[in-house]
Amino acid sequence: MVKAVRGVLVECEPAIKSILVHIDSTHHHEFIIEDLDETHLFVKEAMLQVLKSKLEERLRETYRPEEPLEDSE
Amino acid sequence: MPPKRKAAPGQGNASKAGRASAMSTPGPATPRSLDSSIMSDGDEDFDEDVTEAQKEREALLSREADDFVNKFTFGGKRLQGQNDELGGGGRRYDAATAFFRKRDFSHLPLKPDHQNRPLWIDPDSCTVVLERFNPLAEQATDFLITIAEPKSRPTFLHEYALTPHSLYAAVSVGLRPRDIINTLERFLKTSLPDVVRMKIEDHTKSFGKVKLVLKHNKYFVESVDAEVLQTLLKDKVIGSLRVHGSGDITTSYAPTMGGLVIPGTQNAAGVHQANLRQAEKKPGEGGDASNEADLFTALNEEDDDDDKEAVHAFEISDANVETVQKRCLDIGFPILEEYDFRNDDVNPNLEIDLRPNTQIRPYQEKSLSKMFGNGRAKSGIIVLPCGAGKTLVGITAACTIKKGVIVLCTSSMSVVQWRQEFLKWSNINPDDVAIFTAESKQKFSGSTGIIVTTYSMVTNSRERSHDSKKMMDFLRGREWGLMLLDEVHVVPAEMFRRVISSIKSHSKLGLTATLLREDDKISHLNFLIGPKLYEANWMELSQQGHIAKVQCAEVWCPMPTEFYDEYLRANARMKRTLYAMNPRKFQACQYLINYHEARGDKIIVFSDELYSLKQYALKLKKVFIYGGTSQAERMQVLENFQHNPEVNTLFLSKIGDTSLDLPEATCLIQISSHFGSRRQEAQRLGRILRAKRRNDEGFNAFFYSLVSKDTQEMYYSSKRQAFLVDQGYAFKVITQLANIEKTPDLAFATPLESRELLQRTLVDNERGAEDDVETDDLFGKPGGRGSGGGRGGRRGGNGVRRTAGMLSELAGGQDMAYIEQNKAANKALKGKGKKGAGGDGQSKFFKGIQREKDKSRGRG
Amino acid sequence: MSGGQQSYQLSEYLEKLPGTTFRKLYQQPSTAFAIFRRMLPPLAKVFVQALLYMPSPLLLAELDVWVRAEGKMQRDRALSILRSLHIIQITPPGKDKPQEMQLTTNFKNSLRLALEGGGSHNSFGVPSTLPVDPRIDIAHLDHYARKKWEDILHYVVNSVPAQGDGGGSISTAGPKTSVKELLLLGRLVELRRDTRAGVGITQAGFTFLLQEANAQVWTLLLLWLEAADRAKGEAKGAAAKTDSIDMLSFLFMLASLELGRAYNTDALTETRRNMLPHLVDFGLILVPREDTRQYFPTRLATTLTSSASSLRSVSSGFSAAAANNPGDASSLGTTPETSAASKGSIIIETNYRLYAYTSSPLQIAVLALFTQLNMRFAGMATGRLTRDSIRRAIGFGITADQIISYLASHAHDQMVRAAAATGRPVLPPTVVDQIRLWQLENERMRTSAGFLFKDFDSLEEYVSLSSYADEIGVLVWRNDKKRMFYAIKMEQLRDYLKSRKKAE
Repeated sequence: MVKAVRGVLVECEPAIKSILVHIDSTHHHEFIIEDLDETHLFVKEAMLQVLKSKLEERLRETYRPEEPLEDSE
Repeated sequence: MPPKRKAAPGQGNASKAGRASAMSTPGPATPRSLDSSIMSDGDEDFDEDVTEAQKEREALLSREADDFVNKFTFGGKRLQGQNDELGGGGRRYDAATAFFRKRDFSHLPLKPDHQNRPLWIDPDSCTVVLERFNPLAEQATDFLITIAEPKSRPTFLHEYALTPHSLYAAVSVGLRPRDIINTLERFLKTSLPDVVRMKIEDHTKSFGKVKLVLKHNKYFVESVDAEVLQTLLKDKVIGSLRVHGSGDITTSYAPTMGGLVIPGTQNAAGVHQANLRQAEKKPGEGGDASNEADLFTALNEEDDDDDKEAVHAFEISDANVETVQKRCLDIGFPILEEYDFRNDDVNPNLEIDLRPNTQIRPYQEKSLSKMFGNGRAKSGIIVLPCGAGKTLVGITAACTIKKGVIVLCTSSMSVVQWRQEFLKWSNINPDDVAIFTAESKQKFSGSTGIIVTTYSMVTNSRERSHDSKKMMDFLRGREWGLMLLDEVHVVPAEMFRRVISSIKSHSKLGLTATLLREDDKISHLNFLIGPKLYEANWMELSQQGHIAKVQCAEVWCPMPTEFYDEYLRANARMKRTLYAMNPRKFQACQYLINYHEARGDKIIVFSDELYSLKQYALKLKKVFIYGGTSQAERMQVLENFQHNPEVNTLFLSKIGDTSLDLPEATCLIQISSHFGSRRQEAQRLGRILRAKRRNDEGFNAFFYSLVSKDTQEMYYSSKRQAFLVDQGYAFKVITQLANIEKTPDLAFATPLESRELLQRTLVDNERGAEDDVETDDLFGKPGGRGSGGGRGGRRGGNGVRRTAGMLSELAGGQDMAYIEQNKAANKALKGKGKKGAGGDGQSKFFKGIQREKDKSRGRG
Repeated sequence: MSGGQQSYQLSEYLEKLPGTTFRKLYQQPSTAFAIFRRMLPPLAKVFVQALLYMPSPLLLAELDVWVRAEGKMQRDRALSILRSLHIIQITPPGKDKPQEMQLTTNFKNSLRLALEGGGSHNSFGVPSTLPVDPRIDIAHLDHYARKKWEDILHYVVNSVPAQGDGGGSISTAGPKTSVKELLLLGRLVELRRDTRAGVGITQAGFTFLLQEANAQVWTLLLLWLEAADRAKGEAKGAAAKTDSIDMLSFLFMLASLELGRAYNTDALTETRRNMLPHLVDFGLILVPREDTRQYFPTRLATTLTSSASSLRSVSSGFSAAAANNPGDASSLGTTPETSAASKGSIIIETNYRLYAYTSSPLQIAVLALFTQLNMRFAGMATGRLTRDSIRRAIGFGITADQIISYLASHAHDQMVRAAAATGRPVLPPTVVDQIRLWQLENERMRTSAGFLFKDFDSLEEYVSLSSYADEIGVLVWRNDKKRMFYAIKMEQLRDYLKSRKKAE
């Protein structure tokens, strides 16, 4: 029987997808409904904002935090 | 409210110093983990085998130095009273004030002719902003480099910070508070804020007031201010250490530069021609430095007016020098060391002068004029980028002082290079330049001379061979006129302390390319060696053609999904291996090597990660050198890189970061590096700054940093670049290399190959087969036991060291097997024997090398 | 955000007007003259001047003699603009007769009148004959206009949500309620409870702030005209049209008036008189409290149709305007810093440090939109572009390109000169790249809410439904192997499925 599941389609590069999958796997799989392909995921609508902020957190690790200007030695 | 706000910038420093202090005083029983020593940028691998008592003493000294350093931070307690007077905590000048928090100084009125003046100053943080396009910019720059710390030197506006250390340096090169204040006032667009004036006065009043002078081989504590001297004498510690008799306090006259000529300068040439025309002014007149000279001549002329300034002194005994120095530091009168070498008739003179045709460059001259400003030799540090001729600066200093010299280097290869440079630039009798290394323990024949050695040799307090012991006695038993300390930024403060306490020298000159350390030990150098005397501007030197122009780029290499998935799961150690082994990065490296070899470049590829270093080099059939490479092999590889047109790419581990002089190299590719070390980035850039071809029309050297996208490497990369970016270097981000897929024999081009690489990488590294710990000593190791790569863990406890040693042995064994299997390019370079290594599968490339070798052997 | 509503530009507005409106507009010599001055590229001006006194239509082919072959693009562009503004007529192509072109009648007559003078059209305003308050001089007018305009801009800047404790809450009296309403109506700001000002800036608002001053004035005026059109359009019909034409004509007339001179309000039509209070609120005119029969156009009005070739910023607009009138420059009372601003005030270094030679709180507030500000001295503000500061701006809906073009158009003379000397771009390429890269970071994950269709009973069912979804344009993603697809809507698909089931 065909099903129509409500949710959010996420389109992103493979690396971002990998991070999202990793976040999901370390959080009791509470974000992802279906892993669609290399660049697409189907996620729970209610969890989208949390997922976004977790991604941002992860990506933040790859950027240099701004040093205060007084201390730019 | 105001005190709190004033404290803010200073607190940052204070807490940082606090951290450094915690790190530098682990106590004898607190072994530091290997990891943390790596994190703190601790690639100083020196012998640590010292007695517990000695360690404790050092720890104490270090702690005290830290305390002292903390004291000398603007915004600290000492200054709060004054800061309050600035008032205006919540001052609001107009609608935009809120954007600047507390840093709106628009209320300071501009002078009517402000457009002709190049500086602004932030009275809170003492940050100075300099307009580079102002007519007075050149003079202001020269002034600022003397009194302030350069923070940002791109194209149009520069920023400097006035710090207690920088003021200390300014005073020590002979500027007086009123020189500093008047000149600042002259260059500022606004009036000099009172709070800044007070800061300057406050800090200069204690700095540089007291000098330690070794005169007629007796130590004197000297000051122009009799009151200061009285204060010291009243101190319970110092007072009791004074040598009594001989009239207690002596009074004489302050020296001037009068007649002193630094060899190799315009002045020196003039003196030669006119046969002793009185050269009464500073060197540096004429040539492009003329503008700058004006200012300093003006300042100096003022000095001349006060020619007859009286100097008061009292004597202390040799044994108490360090105690007095420390005590003076504690009570806020740090001692400045000066050497009146012209009046030293006890130590024999050394026959040395620069060769007649040797001309030193304007900036070298400028830096030396800071050292010899008043006719005596002042101890301190000169900062010049790699390739800008630090060695010649050291040699010229030796030629000026003309007394016994001891040179301390970081590796025995540097030792050899230093000796060669002495012979190249000066007329010194070769017998008078001796070498003290594990292999060679020479002495000079005459009454005085030059000894070149390594830090490790003279601080090694373990059981020594008979020869070494005799040699050390020789070094300790004499008085040296000058101690040259090479690459001071990589040597731990404790090591300096040991060097300085065991070898007696009248003056010390530290040389380095960058005073950056990720820990805060640099400030200790101010007190151990002396203040920073000069720091060159990289961009300026490159524009003038003294060092190469460099194009910098950061190449983003996405990771294939399997790799990235693995990366996300991996532990920190494996993460590093994975982002180095990223096949896309490998391909980018291959592409860039092809591209630059085709252009005729000679390429150095740097990898801190030994596993990837070898994998890359073997796969791409390139030569490589790392800690485990034997001395003979290193020599052979380097020789080929320099002279063999078939060998254009060399892979180096971090042992090649410093003290490796390869002027042929014109392109540098970084595939893995030491976390966020700004110093390493600067050092590595330095490897191509002396490119031979730098003065060719339109020549550019290239510096690539390959980073795996969306990994921590991105973070480290931008951190690493911070220093160079503030020097005006611009890193272009490259997200796509054109036509990379068309590269012939592109490595790991198929998903299958990529997956195989991943599997192999995981398997090979799960065993923990390799370790990064390497010796700094690029060429050969000092004698004695424990040689090999195992001297890691800068200040780590004994346990750490032992572990490292074992790991290294383990790694060594495996390397052997590996290399045999893979027919390394290195082996192909080896001329004789090794038929098995060559084999039938040898490429044309290797056969070509072989042929050449055979030919040259035939001739020989 | 605000649905991508862009600020209106005058040309866009005009091009939408029907031919009849243009005929009426061109009845006013001042309008014809203003359009000629402001709206035409140089080549188009040459054509108009040539045609103006030509007794008979010109053969289109003759233009080829005037314009070199390589200028064909420019020629075509000039002709297209002239046609869209209904300045020229070109006969349709035909076999029997070659194409001819001529000026439209009203435009030709009005422009001749404007250039020759004469006529009793009062199109260029009627100077007041009453005694004039001597205190109202050019300096006074400039001060007045600047205050009014900056109040408006401050109001918009203020609607930026405060950032940390460095936020830009600039308290000013603020513009008149009518202006605030207009800003809301034009969606430059929108009502927001979470800001102190009660309103929040929109993407269009940021675009507005980053515009040159002259474009800002027009943006606001056109918003006003449209609002007036709408309001009246609801009420009446044809009469409203005439009103808005008259309003537009009045604006063009104001542009032709002389700065510092008083004009007679009695000579104005009722429509125009009704406009006066609004124009006062915008700062375009000053009406003395003692004598409401006079009005003084300010520089904002008289420069409305000045050449738009040089970009002018929020703060430098006035000094640039002053530069147009060198005689008055001193009376503007600008400090050296602001006059430097007209040449461009911003230096951006390769290490992302930014230095702005400005004292203007407004320009600083604009910079604060995308810069982490640091220190400020008299005439100088320093700061740095950071990942956070740029991403914050991008979060507001400001684009990387807007920031880059703002930096480029305000680049300090030194940067321009250094670039010219070395043959390199004015802005450091690495900084430009980085700003764009920071923007890209924001777009790394695209999302859309909808429905995933899966677990089909048969391949046939999957193919049929997914094809239908594709047909009606709701299909976003499909995977034939997995027999899944994703669509943004489901109602129609559900109905389709039902009817299919029934059919079975």
